[in-house]
Amino acid sequence: MNNTNEMIVEFKSVALNEAFARMVVAAFIATTNPTLEEVSDVKTAVSEAVTNSIIHGYDGGDGRISILSSIKGRSVYIEVRDEGCGIPDVRKAMEPMYTTRPKEDRSGMGFSFMEAFMDKLVVESTVGIGTVVKMWKEIGVVKHHFE
Amino acid sequence: MDYQYKNGVFIYYLPKELDHYYADKLKRKSEETFVKEKINYLIFDFSNTKFMDSSGIGLITGRFRRIYDNGGQTYVVNVNQNIDKLLKLSGIYSIIKKKNTKEDIIEEMIKGGYYE
Repeated sequence: MNNTNEMIVEFKSVALNEAFARMVVAAFIATTNPTLEEVSDVKTAVSEAVTNSIIHGYDGGDGRISILSSIKGRSVYIEVRDEGCGIPDVRKAMEPMYTTRPKEDRSGMGFSFMEAFMDKLVVESTVGIGTVVKMWKEIGVVKHHFE
Repeated sequence: MDYQYKNGVFIYYLPKELDHYYADKLKRKSEETFVKEKINYLIFDFSNTKFMDSSGIGLITGRFRRIYDNGGQTYVVNVNQNIDKLLKLSGIYSIIKKKNTKEDIIEEMIKGGYYE
């Protein structure tokens, strides 16, 4: 069973859809037979990316977010895309604890969690055009993040 | 019930999924109590919580900051394995305490002279 499977979903940038986004990806990758922990990892990473698009990309305003996901065997690829304001300095944004909104109780851990819970993370962003977060994860491969 | 406040003890009963949507909602709902009352013990009860992302970390650290200067203590309780992983990774355990049950927290309160 090595055929590639793929799905695309697009939704409005409202906070309620964060739950929908992570559910739909979790359901899609179910055929890779992930452990509960792996499902939780993927859900967290998706939730982080979508939350970023809503809060930062569209600044709580109207917009569209799309998720493309593909699986081949047990390799999972997820792409979260917005057409929001973009990130001026991606490297800075990815620093742990860095947040542009400390007053709103944002932790600044979003990208750190995506990095920790997925195998690979690439962030492409252009100011005024939007942001694409690309994430890869191999299901069934034990990775020790910390400790 | 989302939270409860009595005699300096504030308990959040966290939702099934603690993400940006629910964290913001909880924060708004409980804000008044944090302005009005002097909170000595702040407890985040994860009994019903199956999912959390970094917005949950933001909620905990934000609320922690509000009570820390007045000498308040912050606890998390009934944390499942996946959420524990996030809490560890965030480094939050250097400022708050994890307890397995609420009885363990009450025990600490008694030791600290909070309950006679």
